[in-house]
Amino acid sequence: MTNARVVITGVGAFSPCGYGVDALWSSARDGVSAARTVQFETVPNQHVKTAANIPDALFNAHSSNFKHRFQDRVTGFALIAADEAVTQAGLTPDDFGDDCAVIVGSGFGGADTLDVNYLAYANANVRMDPMSIPKIMTNAAASWISMTYGARGPVYCNSTACSSSSQSIGLAYLLLRSGAIKRCITGGTEACVVGGVFRAWEVLRVLSPDFCRPFSRDRNGMLLGEGAGILVLETLESAQERGATILAEIAGYGTTSDAGDLLRPDFRGAASAMSKAMTDAGLSAGQVGYANAHGTGTVANDISETKAMREVFGDSFDSLAVSSTKPVHGHALGAAGALETIITMNSLIHQLAPPSVNYTTLDPAIGFEPVQGEARPIQTGFCLSNSFAFGGVNASLILGHASRL
Amino acid sequence: MRNDTTEKSKLEEDLLDLVAEEGMIDRASLQRDALMADLNIASADFIMILMAIEEKYGIYISVDNEMADLKTIQDLLTAASKKIREKEQG
Repeated sequence: MTNARVVITGVGAFSPCGYGVDALWSSARDGVSAARTVQFETVPNQHVKTAANIPDALFNAHSSNFKHRFQDRVTGFALIAADEAVTQAGLTPDDFGDDCAVIVGSGFGGADTLDVNYLAYANANVRMDPMSIPKIMTNAAASWISMTYGARGPVYCNSTACSSSSQSIGLAYLLLRSGAIKRCITGGTEACVVGGVFRAWEVLRVLSPDFCRPFSRDRNGMLLGEGAGILVLETLESAQERGATILAEIAGYGTTSDAGDLLRPDFRGAASAMSKAMTDAGLSAGQVGYANAHGTGTVANDISETKAMREVFGDSFDSLAVSSTKPVHGHALGAAGALETIITMNSLIHQLAPPSVNYTTLDPAIGFEPVQGEARPIQTGFCLSNSFAFGGVNASLILGHASRL
Repeated sequence: MRNDTTEKSKLEEDLLDLVAEEGMIDRASLQRDALMADLNIASADFIMILMAIEEKYGIYISVDNEMADLKTIQDLLTAASKKIREKEQG
């Protein structure tokens, strides 16, 4: 264990807010929701009409040179975000090789290919896509990234539902800190706004029938999203050797599991992940200035997460700026943690906590109000991003300001 | 008024049938004042009940605070029939 420091030198995002990190950050900062009306021809009994999707026109505009016959859109999203991140990091062909890992998570993998082929496979007259398996497999995006750049270090695909990408970033951080690798292309990708997956979320009763309003008393569910968030992480030494611009430090990481109920969150698991991240970063409660909450807008998550934050931050909780940006970009499941870490990094850089849009009224069971209206100025060296997943998987990342290095 | 009351109780009786079937509880022993927790109606069973309501009445009910706070079978019947009537009228 070298305990190397780990820094972010490039970020990329392809989200319902549009192409690039600027589109994601400005939408989050200004509270502009990417919720759109969606209607699936294959779902005759569809009730919920809203999702934060990536329209075909937006994807097509950025993927004309992709190998569509071999790649589901989940891989396409990841390659678009990876290109932005790698370009910003200024990595050259010599910077990849076997010192560079790829750790990119996904919850569903190639959901569109799966959906289309499910509808086709019972019909003997319709040819199933012979590339179904390589397009659907959850690790396809990670492998395509490694092939695109010649990154020959370890490839991992972490699939832990809504914690997939936060845990991917966390695992990258741990491998970098240990000295096992020098740099890593990491994050998550999800392309789940397709008929079958949408309907599956609908019948789980966690999609809001109208609009997503985390922490509000009248909240009634989440907004399904999709997209990809990719980060280039490297050891501080590697970044300094290359003369790279350092955007922020990964200052701490904590991950735990509830080992309880598959769907109902346990605040103790969430609190323990945050506490471990705080200890890892060597921070006391008052030093974190903003928390980008998991904040799905479901009854259970928002109560559990608040209880956990109160336990971890104690008296400092009242002065902590908290918001959920999911009503803006949607809940991107396996890409959520990466997109939100990128927003959190921008909060730190610009010293602004983005608002929780759509917030209505205080819920006595929650007892606090998130940042509302306009982005709130903050003065802090550290920001937190939380992800909590079905299966009881909790992951918390703490980012530190680059000026501290 | 009387008709309304009759319709209301018919709806609740139908819902009781549905809860018994989805919750895998003996219909005869399903008391309105029973606590759902005591009947071992867990979060997953509750989702199945809401699914059956969608199939039977064509309405979508997500889990909000009102649904999350239900304690007894009667609470569930009252909340579900209220939402069904709201949707039917709206």
